[in-house]
Amino acid sequence: MGDIVLNAEKLEKKFDDLSVIDGWNLKVEKGERVVLFGPSGCGKTTFLKIVAGLEEKSSGSLDIDYERIGFVFQEPRLIPWRNVKRNLSVVLEDDEKIVQILKKTRLEGFEFYLPSQLSGGMKQRVNLARALLVDPDLLVLDEPFGSLDLPIKLGIMQDINSLWEAEKFTVLMVTHDVKEALYLGNRVLLLSKRPSRVLKEFRVNLSRKERNLSSPVFATLEAQLIREILEL
Amino acid sequence: MKTFWGILLFLLGWQLLAMKLNAPLVLPTPYATLFSLLEAFSNFETFYALWSTVWKGLMVLGLVIAVGVPIGFVMGLSDTVYGLMRPVIMVVQAVPVISWLVLVIFLWGIGWKGPVLISLLSLLPMVIFTTVSGVRNLDKTLVEMVTVYKVPKGKVFKEVYLGSIVPFVSAAVEVSVGDVWKVILVSEYLCGSSGIGVLISWARQYVDVPRVYALTIIAVALGIASERLVKKFLGRITKRWVTSS
Repeated sequence: MGDIVLNAEKLEKKFDDLSVIDGWNLKVEKGERVVLFGPSGCGKTTFLKIVAGLEEKSSGSLDIDYERIGFVFQEPRLIPWRNVKRNLSVVLEDDEKIVQILKKTRLEGFEFYLPSQLSGGMKQRVNLARALLVDPDLLVLDEPFGSLDLPIKLGIMQDINSLWEAEKFTVLMVTHDVKEALYLGNRVLLLSKRPSRVLKEFRVNLSRKERNLSSPVFATLEAQLIREILEL
Repeated sequence: MKTFWGILLFLLGWQLLAMKLNAPLVLPTPYATLFSLLEAFSNFETFYALWSTVWKGLMVLGLVIAVGVPIGFVMGLSDTVYGLMRPVIMVVQAVPVISWLVLVIFLWGIGWKGPVLISLLSLLPMVIFTTVSGVRNLDKTLVEMVTVYKVPKGKVFKEVYLGSIVPFVSAAVEVSVGDVWKVILVSEYLCGSSGIGVLISWARQYVDVPRVYALTIIAVALGIASERLVKKFLGRITKRWVTSS
């Protein structure tokens, strides 16, 4: 057992009379990559917001043990009147580190571009770069690839995997996409519809080489996960 | 060139109408007005009055931004403050100039304070409500983003809020510049001790209609020149907050 970064017990969230999260029990260990997979409106994003301190839980307990959180939002959430570099320096003023992160996320040469001058994929890279700039203990990804086409999505997912290999930060991700879940996670939690519960856990035991959309092992695992989802 | 022909057409129309009416007390000819204008510019009194109106205008603009923007900012952030302040500001907005006039004459008599206060109170509500709109227009997801990353409040104001309110404040200032001279001239006319408005009041008393028209031309020129200058100046400032190239 590694260190526990996040421990939720009987966690509940209600918006007035609307119960969204219904007694989640969930432990995330340091360096794990946990994917929350469930239907729309089942409280996945709400859970991420509770973890990030943007929402209050209604009951239950949530122990979190991280110093720095990096949050890759669904939409890039870039300050429109600030260029890429200034958008990054808003969260951390460290020129040297910004240069490194821009290199890692393949954004070199775009530091003085305004968000309106970037493509959707580039904006999401800046979103990712901003999250990584703070040296996160916990990287939260909230359906970050929803609006991107496959080649761009793949590029960013590969980047995240390579960065994880190097930094081994803990990942908590929300997605609707089976391929994304398997490509980025090593544990997929299957959630019910609202009020949601954690129904099943699916282990992703893929080697670095097998973590490839075109590998046969990946395809088999994908079919398995789809079966599990349909059986719920 | 089109502007030149436009002005010429306007002067021609004016001349024809003046000839048709033949009532110099209502509409003097362009020639009589131009003569009066030249006479006014040969007099030091006009320059002194012009300066007096200009510094009052600048003071009102400065005050309206210094007071209106912070109040509007706080009102935009807090629904409670907005609820508490809105009725007061609505009342200030609805009070007729003539009522303020009585108040300032009782308070200070004739002088510069009256025109400044009346103009300030006339423009303040618009600047406050425009700033409120700017703050409320801010993308809330950006606020969530800076909250997650625990960005210090000063930096959030500078990098996020300022960028959202600058275009609104800039638009409010542009509108205010157009209005400020009109309001100042009226209040100078009614309770001022110096300024173009006071000169117009004196010209009226002497039934010197061409002089009233000449001074009005000066006021119009002042309005147009200041609007253009401010637009240029604001363009430079707001350049830092443009969202596209």
